[in-house]
Amino acid sequence: MTERVQNLLSILQKREYRTWRVTNDLDINAEIKHLDRYHRDAYRFKIMLEHEKAVLFEGERIGFYRHAKDFPYYTRPEDGYISGWGFGNLTPNYERVLSQGLDAVLEEIREKRRTMDATHTSFLDALEMTVVAALALADRYREAAKAAHPELYGALGQVPHKPPRSFYEACVFMKFIIFTLRCNANVHLTIGRFDQYMLPYYQADLDRGVAREDLLDILEEFFVSVNFDTDLYQGMQQGDNGQSVVLGGYDANGHDAFNDLSMLCMEASMELNLIDPKINLRVNKETPFSLYLLGTHMTKQGLGFPQYSNDDVVIDGLVKLGYDYEDAVNYTVAACWEFIIPGCGADIPNFITMNFPKVVNDTLHAELEGCENYDQLWEKVAQAIRAECDALMEEANTKSQFSTCARQSPYLSLYIDGCLEKGLDFSDAAAKYNNYGCHGAGISNAADALAAVKKTVFEEKSIGKRELLDALERNFEGCEELRLRLLDCPKMGNNDDAVDDISIALMEIFSSYLNGKPNDRGGIFRAGTGSAMEYLLSASKVPATADGRRAFEPYASSFSPSLTARVNGPLSVLQSFTKFDMTKIINGGPLTIEIHDTTFRNEDGIEKVARLVQLFIRLKGHQLQINSINRDRLLDAQKHPEKYPNLIVRVWGWSGYFNELDLPYQNHIIRRAEFRA
Amino acid sequence: MENGIVFSIEEFATFDGPGIRSTVFLKGCPLRCMWCHNPEGQEFDAQYVRNPNGCLHCGRCLSSGTGELTQESVGACPRGLVRLCGETYTPRALTERLLKNASLLQAAGGGVTFSGGEPLSQPVFLKRCLDLMEGKLHRALQTSGYCEPTLFREILSRLDYVLFDLKLIDEAAHLHYTGVSNRWILENFTLLAKSRIPFVVRVPLIPGVTDTAENLTSIASLLRENGVSYAELLPYNKMAGGKYAMVGRDYTPTFDEHQAPASRPELFAAYGIDIKIL
Ligand code: SF4
Repeated sequence: MTERVQNLLSILQKREYRTWRVTNDLDINAEIKHLDRYHRDAYRFKIMLEHEKAVLFEGERIGFYRHAKDFPYYTRPEDGYISGWGFGNLTPNYERVLSQGLDAVLEEIREKRRTMDATHTSFLDALEMTVVAALALADRYREAAKAAHPELYGALGQVPHKPPRSFYEACVFMKFIIFTLRCNANVHLTIGRFDQYMLPYYQADLDRGVAREDLLDILEEFFVSVNFDTDLYQGMQQGDNGQSVVLGGYDANGHDAFNDLSMLCMEASMELNLIDPKINLRVNKETPFSLYLLGTHMTKQGLGFPQYSNDDVVIDGLVKLGYDYEDAVNYTVAACWEFIIPGCGADIPNFITMNFPKVVNDTLHAELEGCENYDQLWEKVAQAIRAECDALMEEANTKSQFSTCARQSPYLSLYIDGCLEKGLDFSDAAAKYNNYGCHGAGISNAADALAAVKKTVFEEKSIGKRELLDALERNFEGCEELRLRLLDCPKMGNNDDAVDDISIALMEIFSSYLNGKPNDRGGIFRAGTGSAMEYLLSASKVPATADGRRAFEPYASSFSPSLTARVNGPLSVLQSFTKFDMTKIINGGPLTIEIHDTTFRNEDGIEKVARLVQLFIRLKGHQLQINSINRDRLLDAQKHPEKYPNLIVRVWGWSGYFNELDLPYQNHIIRRAEFRA
Repeated sequence: MENGIVFSIEEFATFDGPGIRSTVFLKGCPLRCMWCHNPEGQEFDAQYVRNPNGCLHCGRCLSSGTGELTQESVGACPRGLVRLCGETYTPRALTERLLKNASLLQAAGGGVTFSGGEPLSQPVFLKRCLDLMEGKLHRALQTSGYCEPTLFREILSRLDYVLFDLKLIDEAAHLHYTGVSNRWILENFTLLAKSRIPFVVRVPLIPGVTDTAENLTSIASLLRENGVSYAELLPYNKMAGGKYAMVGRDYTPTFDEHQAPASRPELFAAYGIDIKIL
């Protein structure tokens, strides 16, 4: 690491820069009243950028940091929507804008404006306004860089007006795009296949004789620079910001495209140890073992990435959902784990959530006493799941109409294929894919609950129906012994068909019913195995369940064994969680395995963890997230946060600073199953 | 008795032999090594253990009045801190459980390792399990080497790999620190070295006890005599005493726990022995 990178890193880690940021508090209601819906958004963007001052740290070469903490605000008259976050969870098409430069883009917009009919005028004018505003900001940065930042001054003479001439200029351009999109209040925009679309610039530099180490320095500066404003880019919790990259994976010809730039990204990330960019590794049957080894070295650092996704399952699954092969093969991963299509996709992959434990629990309370055998109960559960699918889809299609969950966004539209071409904002369904994702939260808890009922109520008849329901209603108060018997039943994660078959049936009903159903934007619904924050939020409203979980306790995060399950170990877990054909439930949502950090203490242990990951991929698992964790350290960090200012942990789909998480999230991480070798 | 008592099964063991292994810990050990970090593996019978972490000192676990933990204590503890340590398996049941992972273990170049306690102390069960697994799982044994040589020979013929502990070469010191003589151990080691079974020697480095120049020289020379050119050293871990409270015992080593153990690589090098520190 060079001194320059080191300096930037220490500025970041001291966090002092956060203290001189200002609050804008700009109410623009009066100014936008008369504007149409495209111009309101464009105008806000323009005002936002006009108030941004150039922030340049000593000796740095990248730039574009937030000066103001907040956005100008206004109230949307038509629905009372308070302007807040814009559309997110997608991967913009950086490639196109990079390769054209914004001057050429501006030309194209003006050309469209001249040739297209009047219905497009308003959108195209607004779009032009945003590009002009963005360029003006870049020009201000150039001015500011003139005195003491010669490299940046030089770079900004080229980008973003014109296409980059070097990897360095491409990094500056990228930072500019990331920054401006965030100023447009678009959150969770991912960086995507950085190792693919940046490769031409990287390769050209190498061919020109630029040293690889110098390119590593630039990359490291770029990586550090995207970390500065993560506290402002928050989602549900700090750190949940979508700044993830996807490395490797098949190219359009079906060959694995992990390359030297992918490698450079891994190296930079391992040297820097920062929460961003989060790394997703695409792996497949061609992936060499060395990549699993490298990935495991990264896991060892405890940042909670890489997250692995299995091309051979994901691409298949996306094609089954109706994505074109050439798009599916280019998939990226959204802020957490949802599989999305860069550039041409405007899916909302986290729109609704099937709360499996709740559906099963409600069904037990309503129907158990009327059921003579398990099959009858199962029929009721299946009906309830289908009914819940209908209700969720209805909710997505009507109550939360698309227009209320995503504003018009001309500037974002620039980065989505089809918008400029058609002269339409992406919110007018101009993108190629406009699908809605449905998470599946608590699958393991639900399957465990049904397995316990099947065994104790119907097979052994050791617990009466009323007795069970009473115990659940009383939250096991005074029925501790009954709860222990429920905990003793088959649990998902032990490679036990008695419960795994139930989980398969649950996923089959859910996915076969929901996948492909139409939504209100001309897209479809797609089922997944993720939980997002619902493993805590929804769970905190659900009373005791028959798997032995007490009222309001969390579910497993995403597709993992429940917190109360006693699990044999990772080999059984891998098998339990790969029995279903995961191509059918491919919205995303990883199996998470925590491994005690002592396992990583030498090469031998690291190699074996890497083998474990490879086994998961061979078993046709879809997505895996493996953590190195040390419970004692986390407990100590709760007691003495001051000792661990930079302790990073995986939360759900993303990593964050342990100290910045709310207590329930901290506790969940501490409670997750942990395997020691 | 054909059945065995197991106190733990670790599915993903990474330090007990080649590849990913599942390690079965058999309960009971005739040795009493002063540094033993698995005190719950020493007694042969199943026993109730109590995790002290989070204990409310409410005494509910002892409500039977006998002063002993019982089956009732398990349900009585509001924190779930009491459990029975030691589960009885038939050879078939244990084998079936392990075979469920056979294809994964094989694919990862691993198999099953019997450890303990001292697995050789449940010989009938062990032999039966090894026979049932033959041809289906790679079978390893992690042992102190303490058993009658005739028995050792019988077991050896059923194994694919051995992890053999060598602690102290001086018999009196061995007797003092482990409670047993090392004669069988040394004899069995020679048997192992002459067999064609691949094996690795592991030496626990206990400060001031096994890590002395004298002892390590004796070990190195024994290794060379037997044509062994590689050994693994396990430095003493201060967590060793961590589980004694659980079995209601005090951990009272007479050696200095805080002294860093010496690995003396130069000494092994002089005997042409490669070492790896785990
Ligand atoms: S019952 Fe549990 S909490 Fe109470 S004293 Fe015994 S072990 Fe401690």
